[in-house]
Amino acid sequence: MAFNYDKYLRLEKMPTLWCWGCGDGVILKAFVRAVEKMGIPQDDICVVSGIGCSGRFSSYVDFNTVHTTHGRTVAYATGIKLACPTKHVICVAGDGDALAIGGNHTIHGCRRNIDITMIIINNFIYGLTNSQTSPTTPKGMWTVSQKSGNIDPTFDTCDLAIAAGASFVARESMLDPKKLEKIFIKAMEHKGFACLDILSNCHINLGRKNKMVSAMDNLKWIESITAPKKKYDAMTPEEQLNILPTGILKQDTEADEYCDMYAEVIKFHQGKRKAITQDDFAKKI
Amino acid sequence: MASKEMVNPGNQPVWVNTDNCKACDICVSVCPSGVLGMRYESTSTLGAMISIDHPEACIGCNECELTCPDFAIYVADTKEYKAAGFSFAKLTDEAKERQAAIVANNYMSLDQQGVK
Repeated sequence: MAFNYDKYLRLEKMPTLWCWGCGDGVILKAFVRAVEKMGIPQDDICVVSGIGCSGRFSSYVDFNTVHTTHGRTVAYATGIKLACPTKHVICVAGDGDALAIGGNHTIHGCRRNIDITMIIINNFIYGLTNSQTSPTTPKGMWTVSQKSGNIDPTFDTCDLAIAAGASFVARESMLDPKKLEKIFIKAMEHKGFACLDILSNCHINLGRKNKMVSAMDNLKWIESITAPKKKYDAMTPEEQLNILPTGILKQDTEADEYCDMYAEVIKFHQGKRKAITQDDFAKKI
Repeated sequence: MASKEMVNPGNQPVWVNTDNCKACDICVSVCPSGVLGMRYESTSTLGAMISIDHPEACIGCNECELTCPDFAIYVADTKEYKAAGFSFAKLTDEAKERQAAIVANNYMSLDQQGVK
């Protein structure tokens, strides 16, 4: 027998809704393998996903799952984490979900440094709604909303997360599933907000007019725009222009975690308040 | 619990669940030793379906299983496979050449010339 994925999947939902060769499936697989390697019981994980192709992520895994409204994954996950601080809470969002409509929630999740692992599946386009410009679409690319070539400047997800105060920031592409598995384990073990920018392909909606019609062409393009962090640091500023560094970009284990601080607040208020008894009610009457 | 598709059908190094396969070519592209190839099939999603042409050349690197987005291809566990009295092959020059020919043939099996 091979690796037992079926233990973690909802088999009645298979095969997946995603297009052929979609990176979301590779990321799902790497995530399942990471959970198996860490040995976390299925009941101790909560996967929260939003809207978009990435939103289907929570439908296929057999953990506690919440399929929420568009862009509000971090808001829901914060509530879940504060209610159950011992559970692992995983947010899965696409680039549109996490950076466009849910941009405000993402930066405030980073700022509070709450112990959530956020997986941003970045495919450079709004795939589900048929190729509109997303905040990460590279300049000059054809999209339905900008047919002469995208003119919008692009977001650097990792720089945004570092600036907002996330304590673990990493970027990886779905080209190497083994590296992806390792980064998931490191992010889930980290105490604090872990923001992962996972580059994925969308050869159907990004590729069809941008000369990347097959999955393989799109993967080659992703390979050409990424470089490991060590190699990236050795480059000249001109070479760095259109290259995204991969690997762990920030890891701060000293930063205060929000759930710990919130527990102090609860303790403070519980110390002040007296327990109400039946006698108190009798006196009032 | 494991579904019946995950159980090795008779000591194979690599096997496929054709219900899940969407013929995206990724597993064929990552195989180092030319084990896999696509064959023409008119009723499939993209007019093709995965086939295992040279199971004897499989080196057990697991790349195809890891990169398959649809949970369709499985590689035998190394320990279990060896305990059953089998072993994975070593990477040969012939296998490398076959892989290069398959990639040049648009990821189709070598007996399916000019289909795609």
